[in-house]
Amino acid sequence: MQKYLSENNLKALLDRLIADGKRVVAPRMDAGTPLYGPLANSGGMVMDKLPRRSAKETFFPVCEDIMTYGKEGQKVNLTDIDPSTFPETVLVGVRPCDAAAIPVLDAVFSWDYKDEFFLERRRKTTIVGLACTKADDACFCTAVGLSPADPKGSDLFLTPLEGGGYACETFTEKGEQLINNHTVLFTEPNGSQPLPPAEPQTEKFDLKKVKKWLDEHFEDPAWDSIAVRCVGCGACAFLCPACHCFDIVDEGTEKAGKRRKNWDACGFWKFTHHASGHNPRDLQPKRYRNRIMHKFKYYDDKFGQSLCSGCGRCIRFCPVGIDIAAIVEEISKK
Amino acid sequence: MHTEKEKHTFEPKIIAFVCTWCTYAGADLAGTSRMQYPANVRVLKFPCTGRIDPVFILKAFQQGADGVLVSGCHPGDCHYIAGNFHARRRFAAFRKLLEFVGVDLGRLQFSWVSAAEGGKWVEMVTGLTEQVRGMGPMQEFKELALEEQWSGSIDTPELQEAYDQI
Amino acid sequence: MTQLIDTSIYTAVTEAIQGEARRILSEGSVSAVVGYAAARRKGSAQPVVITQADDSGKLIFSAACVNNLAVYLTKAKKDIPKNGKIGIVVKGCDLKALVGLMGESQLKREELYLIGVPCAGVLASTILPDTALTSGTIASKCRECGERLPQGCDYTPTVTPPITPVLEKKYAAEIARLEAMTPAERWAYWKEQFKKCIKCYACRQVCPFCFCEQCLCDRNKPQMVETTPRPAGNFAWHIVRAMHLAGRCAGCAECERVCPMDIPLNLLNRKMAKELKELYNHEAGFEVREKGPLAMYDEKDDQSFIK
Repeated sequence: MQKYLSENNLKALLDRLIADGKRVVAPRMDAGTPLYGPLANSGGMVMDKLPRRSAKETFFPVCEDIMTYGKEGQKVNLTDIDPSTFPETVLVGVRPCDAAAIPVLDAVFSWDYKDEFFLERRRKTTIVGLACTKADDACFCTAVGLSPADPKGSDLFLTPLEGGGYACETFTEKGEQLINNHTVLFTEPNGSQPLPPAEPQTEKFDLKKVKKWLDEHFEDPAWDSIAVRCVGCGACAFLCPACHCFDIVDEGTEKAGKRRKNWDACGFWKFTHHASGHNPRDLQPKRYRNRIMHKFKYYDDKFGQSLCSGCGRCIRFCPVGIDIAAIVEEISKK
Repeated sequence: MHTEKEKHTFEPKIIAFVCTWCTYAGADLAGTSRMQYPANVRVLKFPCTGRIDPVFILKAFQQGADGVLVSGCHPGDCHYIAGNFHARRRFAAFRKLLEFVGVDLGRLQFSWVSAAEGGKWVEMVTGLTEQVRGMGPMQEFKELALEEQWSGSIDTPELQEAYDQI
Repeated sequence: MTQLIDTSIYTAVTEAIQGEARRILSEGSVSAVVGYAAARRKGSAQPVVITQADDSGKLIFSAACVNNLAVYLTKAKKDIPKNGKIGIVVKGCDLKALVGLMGESQLKREELYLIGVPCAGVLASTILPDTALTSGTIASKCRECGERLPQGCDYTPTVTPPITPVLEKKYAAEIARLEAMTPAERWAYWKEQFKKCIKCYACRQVCPFCFCEQCLCDRNKPQMVETTPRPAGNFAWHIVRAMHLAGRCAGCAECERVCPMDIPLNLLNRKMAKELKELYNHEAGFEVREKGPLAMYDEKDDQSFIK
């Protein structure tokens, strides 16, 4: 289904959804930083900035409770969090790199173990994607086979038009339903041309070749020179739309507390630290190697695609300027 | 005879970190001398004020304290010669940090109470208790502990009760 | 009004660094040189460790050379070979960190070969590295910098840093603004900031002074700081971090630069530095001191806050 949505009608749509009791999550300014977050009204939406953290947190929050415990005398009460209480959500203004990573996460969270926390949020969320008309030199979605106008992962996809407003195209039932529930706001296409999509400058990677090199070079001196500067923080993994490792912790007192699921990152020394004190990934190059291996080999081995959508966040925000696009390019030329 | 105890709507929780050589002995003296002071204070004994990590103060507030008292030997009387001198600098810095992040310093008190100063101990505890009572409960850290912006908050009654008991 | 800042000396500085690195590596007087190299994106730079004289041509210096390389020489970074003397490119602010590490017996002066950089300032952020250095894009630390020429280095290019325009001191102004607030307003300010924190620990990992083998915040027996990135745990973490750096922080502001959530972390460090200067006349500098202000005492220290 193809429709036209004016800028004012987009705002009206969000306000109607909020009034209907839906949770509307969109890019907004949070204490000076662009982040995805629930809107109180459509006025808070910021459409021209890529949020610092990716859209994955809508389904897989940085920290979530999975169980609580409380002690009453000798009795211990355990309460599981019930995912069915999660609210219906509309996620708006998701850039193609963020949206494309969501099906990638689906594969992991519904593989052998079905993660109901992720899947229930996923079922209850409609994703409204938004094409990019600007790119910086950290953007490389085209290099990993996506594009600034790729609707992958979106239920409804918006393309900004030259004459203002958006061309809307639906790709799933959820997307069609969103239009059908608010038909007065969506009008017939008016013939206005889409704004030219952004043009990331990176050349397309030969991911097959990259994988082949990775298959054969678990041990290689190149890892040392690639990762020598890595300081071992989790910025890359936490900002990444596709990284999905988490850690389960129990926090509280002897009387009450919670079991929580928190983001984790393979760059941390603690990530593979054993209770015995042994750490199989004892030095930073081994940890950074895991990041590259997981993105371009392990995930590919299991699910047949790469775990990178080229959003460039890890490049922009690496404290020490590590550039994954440069590394993959270098590997593809080996 | 005990005087009639005044009833209050709010009884603050005061945590006192004290050194074993001076202030703990001073508190002991207050007890053996049958001096009266508010039962709001929970005393934790340390070898020296130099052993009291600023993190303990932070943890006390996080776990529900409404006021914190840190007390040890007078300068020059430290059992370990200079522990309290080091502590003095550390706490001078730490209170400035807490003030900067928005903790009201009326809730945090430092004192020197020697083993002979049972009366001063009573004065310190009473003073801080009444001051904090006037300020009301330390809401900031308690609210923070219950805040969950990432997922729907699930404050079960037993959880609430347990937090209240801390 | 934004003013362009003159960085024309960086071409000469780059050449001088390359020449000196080539000399010391080919003579064998150092085993490695830690410096900056250009990266893929236009104008970008990243830390590099070179061990061959032939690689000296890779070294550069520009307004995007923001990192404090001192972090690579600490024991926390086990991957950098620490055999023999190591050459390192340092700005004035970075040198203060090295001096602090020497004071804490983490480094020995005789095991370092310091290549000092006359500095005109660096960028506040390298999200877009190809950005001109102006009064609007310069790092806040550079606005308050009094040492554009590091002192006591083994080699410093004979280039005079240009006279930079007098810029408004942002940290001082922001600290004064916060100090004028009520405690409740300050609490609200920091709560908003800290709630963004995702505990990526970039602030800790880039800090030259966070070299503990195991951070207090990574310990769970006892767990003094909640590890979960939610308001309570975040607040505790940032207070602990600021306290552990009080009297040690050299003011390089790397914590603030690398924070992906834009939390003004260096405000806490600057505030502590200001207090320690007022209380104990301590300031980070170029002179190695055996003990920091919180590792020593004076019998006459102020105790007006103690009853």
